[in-house]
Amino acid sequence: MRLEKCWFCSSTVYPGHGIQFVRNDAKIFRFCRSKCHKNFKMKRNPRKVKWTKAYRRLRGKDMTQDSTFEFERKRNRPERYDRNLTENTLKAIKKIDKVRIIREERHHEKRMKGKKAKENREAVKELEQSISLVKAPTALQQDPSLTLPIKVKVLQQQPEKTVAMMEE
Amino acid sequence: MAAGLASKCSRVGRSLLGGLGNNSSGLLSTSHEMTCSTFLSQQQRTFIQMRTILKVVDNSGAKKVMCIQALKANKKGARLGDTIVASVKEAHPNGKVKKGQVVYGVVVRAAMQRGRCDGSEVKFDDNAVVLVDKQGRQPIGTRVFGPVPHELRKKKHVKILSLAEQIA
Repeated sequence: MRLEKCWFCSSTVYPGHGIQFVRNDAKIFRFCRSKCHKNFKMKRNPRKVKWTKAYRRLRGKDMTQDSTFEFERKRNRPERYDRNLTENTLKAIKKIDKVRIIREERHHEKRMKGKKAKENREAVKELEQSISLVKAPTALQQDPSLTLPIKVKVLQQQPEKTVAMMEE
Repeated sequence: MAAGLASKCSRVGRSLLGGLGNNSSGLLSTSHEMTCSTFLSQQQRTFIQMRTILKVVDNSGAKKVMCIQALKANKKGARLGDTIVASVKEAHPNGKVKKGQVVYGVVVRAAMQRGRCDGSEVKFDDNAVVLVDKQGRQPIGTRVFGPVPHELRKKKHVKILSLAEQIA
């Protein structure tokens, strides 16, 4: 059993899933689902489609260089079965996965570090530049000509009048 | 007053713009779909049936054959790995097979996808055939070009598999 990678989105293709296309020069394109296959048929470049791993790696959204990736590699030589080795490997998989997740979180934090400060800066700039668009509520209270005439009272009076007419 | 008016105007303008934007995007998407459907790769691929022209990928001398009957296959036609009866439409001047001859062949590549034993699917670039004798066992040529699926082993065409360059 071998878990292949999808050609388009680089996710894992589990046995029995997806479709594979064999080009005449014997290059095999594996797809995890029809979504990826359709995108391939539309001749889209995975590096330009935002949800693929290729795009995210290219733009530095995901961690690319890490020692934890070295363990997951295609090996063409079949390993001879050894009970102890298998046991150790299964133990190591969990540990490596944990380490990888921690490192990915750290990468994300690093990437998002300056975001809040940047947003604040932009907000301050906008406030300075377009303060003329908004008036302070105290200014409205001081100068009644700035507020709209109140229609609420008129609306309340109308039903009373109709009632009175009905009585007459 | 002025402020209120301005805000109203802006709201109307935005809604108009939004409507325009929606319309334009809808138009774009429909045109895109139309262009995509005209792609050759998006063509609906079907069974190999009467009058299907297939490429011959061996050195028997024939270049192109036309299917005239699918043997022991689905009622609708032949798929990957099935045997067909065909008539030679194009041939090399001094090959083993002449133009107009009726020959038997095994479909080694089909553009229509075929389910694999594990539930995934496989498809190829084109429809190709390897000519065999009337018993359907021995290939007429001595070489096979291009990739060939491993399903042929199940169909007991081991000779073709051993001659093939690549097995997909």
